[in-house]
Amino acid sequence: MRGLVKLTAGELKRLARYKILAASLATSILWIILFLFISKSEAAEIAPHLIIIDVTAMSVLLIGASHHLEKQEGTLKTIIVTPLSLGQILTAKTLSSIALSIQSVAVTCAALYFIHKITFNYILLLFFILIAGASHAAIAFLLSIRSRDFTTMLALYAGYMFVFTIPSFLFNFGIIQAKFEWLLMLSPTHSSSRLIISAVSGEYDYTLVTIGALYLILLTAALFRLVVYPIFKDNAARG
Amino acid sequence: MKPAFTVENLNFKYPTAKEDTIKGISFEVFEGEIFGLLGPSGAGKSTIQKILIKLLEGYRGTIKYFGRDLNSLDNSYYEEIGVGFEVPVHFSKLTALENMKFFSGFYKSRANIQELMERVGLWEYRDVKVAEFSKGMKVRLNFVRAMLNSPRVLFLDEVTNGLDPNNAKIIKDMIAEFRAKGGTVFLTTHLMNDVEQLCDRIAFCVNGRLVETSTPRDLKLKYGKREVKVEYRDNGNLKSALFPLDGIGFNEEFQTLLKFGKIETIHSGETSMEEIFIIVTGVELK
Ligand SMILES: Nc1ncnc2c1ncn2[C@@H]1O[C@H](COP(=O)(O)OP(=O)(O)O)[C@@H](O)[C@H]1O
Ligand SMILES: [Mg+2]
Repeated sequence: MRGLVKLTAGELKRLARYKILAASLATSILWIILFLFISKSEAAEIAPHLIIIDVTAMSVLLIGASHHLEKQEGTLKTIIVTPLSLGQILTAKTLSSIALSIQSVAVTCAALYFIHKITFNYILLLFFILIAGASHAAIAFLLSIRSRDFTTMLALYAGYMFVFTIPSFLFNFGIIQAKFEWLLMLSPTHSSSRLIISAVSGEYDYTLVTIGALYLILLTAALFRLVVYPIFKDNAARG
Repeated sequence: MKPAFTVENLNFKYPTAKEDTIKGISFEVFEGEIFGLLGPSGAGKSTIQKILIKLLEGYRGTIKYFGRDLNSLDNSYYEEIGVGFEVPVHFSKLTALENMKFFSGFYKSRANIQELMERVGLWEYRDVKVAEFSKGMKVRLNFVRAMLNSPRVLFLDEVTNGLDPNNAKIIKDMIAEFRAKGGTVFLTTHLMNDVEQLCDRIAFCVNGRLVETSTPRDLKLKYGKREVKVEYRDNGNLKSALFPLDGIGFNEEFQTLLKFGKIETIHSGETSMEEIFIIVTGVELK
C-alpha cells in the first residue's frame, strides 16, 4: 500500500514536471473562454461532451505519451526491478490519469457554476468518471503495448476512434437513430458517454446506465487481467 | 563455496526472433565472487542478464537462485538484487537526487544516497536535471541506482562503458569493495580491462553460447605464451630477446645475459585477455 501511494505521488509529480498538468489546464481554460461566450442552455448542452473528451480521449493520449516516453527513458524497466508488483505499477498509472481527468473536469464544473450557475450531481459524475477513466486507461495501455512508438499508437487510436468514437458522436448529435443505442453500448466510449451525459443532464434510462456501468467495469477487469497484465512486463523489458 | 546462481541448459528465444538467442548455456555464479560475462556486442550478454533479473520470461532450462527455482520467487527477490542497466534509466526532467530518492523509497533496505553519489562524484550535481547530464554522468548514476538497496547480488551491464579512466577506476574500486564485504557480482562487458582487473571468473560468450569458463589466471596459463622477454642495452642500443619459460634455469644465453648484460626490463610473456579471447573463440571482441 505504501508503495502504491509513493508510486502514485511520483506519477503526479511527473505530470507537473513534464508540463502535462499545464497542458491540461490550458485546455480547461479554453473551455472556460468558450463558456463565457455562449448562453446557459448552449453551455448545458455542450458541457457533457467536453467532459467526455477530458475523460476518454485525454486519458488515452496521456497514458500513450507517457508510456512511450518512459520506455524511451528506460524508467519502466528500472521500476519493474523494484519489489513493487506489476499490479501496483498499473494501478498507480491509472489513478494518476483519472486524477488528471478529475482535475480538468473540476475546473470545467467550476466554470459552469460561476458563469452559468449550472450544477448537477457531482458525486454520481465522480463515480462515472472513475469507471469511464479506468476503462479508457485499460484501452490506452492496450494501444500502447501494441505500438512501437507514440506515432504508431496515435494511428491505432485513430482506428479505434473510427470504429468506436465517431458512431457515438453521430448518435449524440442525432444522426444515428435511438433504437441503435443498445448496439452502440458495446463501444466503451459510448457507454462512458452515456454515463456522463446522464449524470450531467439528470435524465437517466436506469437500465441503460446500469448495464453501461457493469459492462465497463467487467471490460476494464478483463482488459487488465487478460490482455495488459500478461504482456506489459515483456513489453517494458524491450529497448 | 555456495552457488548464488546455478544455470543449466538455458535457452531463450525472443518472440519476434527466428531462432534462439541463447542456445543451451550452463554456468554457476558463486556467492562472494565477481563473475564476468565477456563477449562481443550482440552475443546475448544483456539477454542473459535480463533473464536472471526476471525481466524476460519464458526461458527453457533451469535457473536456481541460492537453491530456489527462479520462477518460484516473488517480488521480494528484488529486495536482494541491484540492477545496473546498459542504457540510462532515469526521469530526465527530475534531478539526479529526486530520481535516486524515488527509486530508493521502494526498498526495505536503503543505502546512503549521499555517500554513493559523493563517491562517484555526482553529489555536487544532485540538483541538476538528468537531461543535462553527460553520458558518463548517466552511467555513474545508473551505478548508484543499482546500489540503492545495498543488494546481496549486483548485476552490472557494461558498467564502465563510456567512462573516462578515472571514473572507471572509481566504479571498479567500489565493485571490488562490494565483493570484499561479501557481495556477489554478475557483470557483462565487451571491455577487457573490466574483466582483467575485476573478475574472479570469466565466461566467454559468443553467439548465444558460452565457450569457456575459467579464472583469468588459468586462462593466461592455458593460452598465454610461456616466455620471458628481456630488454637490454648493447653498446648503447636497446635490444630485446625472448626465452622460453620451460628449462629457463639451464638456458645459457639467458644466464649470460643476466650475469653480464645491461638489463633494463624483464617481463614474462603476457598474452592479453583480448588475444586469448580471439584464440579461444575465433571471434574478435567489439
Ligand atoms: N527485444 C528483442 N527482440 C528480438 N531480438 C533481440 C531483442 N533484444 C536483443 N535481441 C537480439 O538478441 C541478440 C543478443 O542481444 P544482446 O543480449 O543485447 O547482446 P549483447 O548484450 O551481448 O550485446 C542480438 O542479436 C540482438 O539483436
Ligand atoms: Mg549488451
